[in-house]
Amino acid sequence: MATTILPKSPAPAHQPARGAGPAVRRSTPLRRRRSIAAWGFAAPFVLLFLVFTAWPVISSLLMSVTDIKSRDLRDPFNVNFVGIDNFAAVLRDPLFWQAARNTGYFVIVGVPLVMFVSLMIAIALNTGITRLSGFFRVGYFMPVVTSIVAVAVVWRFLLKDDTGIINVALGWFGIDGPNWLGDPNWSMPAIILMAVWRSMGTLIVIFLAGLQGVPASLHEAAALDGANAMQRLRLITVPIMRPTLLFGAVLTGIGYLQLFEEPLVMTNGGGPLNSTMSVSLYIYRQFGFGNYGIASAMSYLLFLAIVLLTLLQFRLLSERDPRPRKKARTASPAASPTTAPEGSTR
Amino acid sequence: MSKILRVSVAALAVTSMLALSGCGRSDAAPEEDTSAAPVAEGKASGDITVWAMGTEGEKLGAFAEAFSEENPDATVTVTAIPWDAAHDKIATAIAADQTPDVSMVGTTWMGEFASTGALDPTPDSISPDTFFPGAWGTTVVNDVAYGMPWYVETRVLYTNTAAAEKAGVSPSPTTWDELKTSTAAMQAAGAKYGITLQAGQQGAWQTLMPFVWQAGGDIMDADGKLTLDSPEFVDALAYYQSFFTDGIAPVDVPVGTLESSLISGEFGSMVSGPWHIGILEEQGYADFTLAPLPKGEKLASFIGGSNLAVFKNAENRDAAWKFIEWLSQADTQAAWYEATSDLPSVPAAWESGTLASDPQLKIFGTQLETAVAPPSIPNWEQIATVIDTELEKVTRSGLDPQEAATAIQQQAEAIGTGL
Repeated sequence: MATTILPKSPAPAHQPARGAGPAVRRSTPLRRRRSIAAWGFAAPFVLLFLVFTAWPVISSLLMSVTDIKSRDLRDPFNVNFVGIDNFAAVLRDPLFWQAARNTGYFVIVGVPLVMFVSLMIAIALNTGITRLSGFFRVGYFMPVVTSIVAVAVVWRFLLKDDTGIINVALGWFGIDGPNWLGDPNWSMPAIILMAVWRSMGTLIVIFLAGLQGVPASLHEAAALDGANAMQRLRLITVPIMRPTLLFGAVLTGIGYLQLFEEPLVMTNGGGPLNSTMSVSLYIYRQFGFGNYGIASAMSYLLFLAIVLLTLLQFRLLSERDPRPRKKARTASPAASPTTAPEGSTR
Repeated sequence: MSKILRVSVAALAVTSMLALSGCGRSDAAPEEDTSAAPVAEGKASGDITVWAMGTEGEKLGAFAEAFSEENPDATVTVTAIPWDAAHDKIATAIAADQTPDVSMVGTTWMGEFASTGALDPTPDSISPDTFFPGAWGTTVVNDVAYGMPWYVETRVLYTNTAAAEKAGVSPSPTTWDELKTSTAAMQAAGAKYGITLQAGQQGAWQTLMPFVWQAGGDIMDADGKLTLDSPEFVDALAYYQSFFTDGIAPVDVPVGTLESSLISGEFGSMVSGPWHIGILEEQGYADFTLAPLPKGEKLASFIGGSNLAVFKNAENRDAAWKFIEWLSQADTQAAWYEATSDLPSVPAAWESGTLASDPQLKIFGTQLETAVAPPSIPNWEQIATVIDTELEKVTRSGLDPQEAATAIQQQAEAIGTGL
C-alpha cells in the first residue's frame, strides 16, 4: 500500500460559527475547483446522455400523449394533446394483444429454458472440463457476437422443411419434422430455439463466474455425508448462486421482452398468420407507418411490462430472510435485509 | 441531493406542461398554395441535386451527362441511396428542411410525402397526356399532381410453355374460367402446382388487387370513400381463395425457390413483373410465355414504378423541373430503358426500337394500358398491411371471403385515408 500522506483539508477561510448546528458544507475555493474539475470530466458523458438518452425518452413520453404523425415533423407543436387516447387505442388493438401473447409465450418458455441450459453447461464446464475450458467458453460465446443477419441465413437453411438438416436429422428417428418457419404453430418454437442458442453464451460466462463463489469444500463435505449430485445442485449450488441467477434472469428477461431481431430476419416481420409478431416488431411497424403517437404509447406499455417482470423476478429470486427456525436463544438480531443485493458476486 | 432531484423533476414537469399546452392543431386548414408556379424559359443552369435509389441511383449520374451536354451551365449531382433507408432519409430531410432539389419517390410513398406540403406541384410544362393514365394517377394526391412518373412496372402471367403444352392448354388464358381450368389441367398433367399466387405477407395485396380491379371493384370510389367490402371485392377474394382450397396454388413458397420451381415445371405459372425476364434468362431459361392477366369483367393489372418529385424548398427549382421534363421525353425514356431495363412511363417511347419489336415487352405495353395504381393516400401502406393480413387468413385458414372483406373495410375505415 502506498503511503501517501493526504494533506489535511486546508483550514477553511471561514470557520463555521460555533453553535451553527451540523457542519454546513461551505464552498471553499479548493472545493469549488474540485467541483469544477469533477463536472468538467463528467460533462461529456452527461451531455451525451442528456441529448441521446434522456431527451428521446422524455420526448417519446410527450409524443405518446399527442396525436403526432410523421408528417407533423416539420411543425411538431401543431398537434393535439389527446391524453391517454393513444394508450386506449393500443389496448383495443387485437394485433397488439396477439403480439403481446407471442412475446409472453417467448419469455415464459425462453427465459427458464435458457437459464437452465446455461446453468447446466456452466456447471459441466466448471467441474468436468478444466483444460479446454477457454476454448469452450469462446465457442459458446461466439453466437452472441456473430451478426444476426449471417446467423439468420444459416438458420433459415437449417430449418428448411424438406432439405434442412434439422428435419433430416429428425427423419432418422422417424419423426416427420414440421415446416418450421411456415407453420404458425411451429414458427415461435423455431425462434425460441434460435434465440436460446444465441444468448446462451452470455449467461454461461456469467454463471461460470458465479460458480467460482461456490466453495468446493462444501461440495466435498456434502458428498462425504452422502448427498448425490442432484441434491448438491439443489441445496448448495443454487442457493449460493441466487444473486447471480437473479442477475441473469433480469438481464435475459429485459432482453427477451424486447424480442425484435430474430422475427425480423427469420420470418421477415410477422411470420405466418402473425405468429411471430412481437411487441417491439409491432412498434417498429407503427413507427414505419408514421404513427409516432401510437408507437410511443406502445413503447411505454412495453416498458411497464419490463418493470413488472423485473419486480416479479426480484420477488422470486432475491435473498430472503432465513426461515426462523427456533426462538432466538441468544440476543443476536435475526433480521437481514430483504432487498436484493445488486448482482453482487461473492 | 434529493432537493436537487425534486427541483429538477418539478422543472421537467413544468416544461412538459408548457410544451403540451402549446400544442394544438390549428382549426383552419392551412392555405396550401397548390397552384404551380411556371418554370422560367431558357436553358437550365446551376447545380441540380438528385437523390435516387437502387440501380437507378447507380446509373443516373452517368446518364445525366447527356443533359449537361444540352445545358452546358447545368450540372447534375446524383446521390445513390439504398432502398431500405430511403423512406426514412427522405422523411428526415423533409423534417429538417434539408431536402435536395429532386428525389426519386416510390409510388406508394407519394401520398405521405405530398401531405407534408414539402413537394412542389407539377407545372404546366409537363402534361398529363404524355404518360400512361395509371402512371399519372400515382402522382396525383388530393387532385393535385406532384412530380412525374419516371418508370413503370406492371404484372403479367408467366407460364412454363412446356407444362402448358403437356396439359394441352393455351399458355395465354383470357378469362377467369380459362385461368382456372388451364392451371388445374397443368396440375393434372404433372405439375405440383398449377400457379403460384402470393398467399399473404408483405406485398400480397399487389397480386390480389388486379383480380379486384378485373372484377370491377376498386379501393375507393369517386367520393373518396373506401369500398373494400364491395360485392366485387368479395368475388375476387372468393376466386383467389378457390386456387388455394382446390390445391392449385401453394400456401407456402420457400424463399429463393420460385424461379427454380417455375423452370423445372413444378409450378405451372406465376404472376410477376418485368424483372423476372432478366432473372430467368440469367438462369438459362427462355421457354416461358407471357400473357396479360385474364379478364374478369374487364382487363386490369397492378402498376408500380417510381416517380420523380421536386421539393418546394429546392434551391434550383427551375433547373430541376427542366431536368425532369428532359427525362420524360420519349427518346430519353427509350435510352433509359436501354441502360436499365426500366419500362418507360411514356407511351410514345414504346413506338420504336426494342420496345416496339420485342414480343415479350409488347405484352407489358398492352398490360400497361389497363393497369391501375392504388390511390395515393397517406395511409395506404397501413391499409395495404391490413389487406395482407386478412388475405393470409383467407388463403391459409379458409376465412370466409365476405367476413374477410368486412374486417378489411372496418379496419381500413378506422385507419382512415389520412387526407
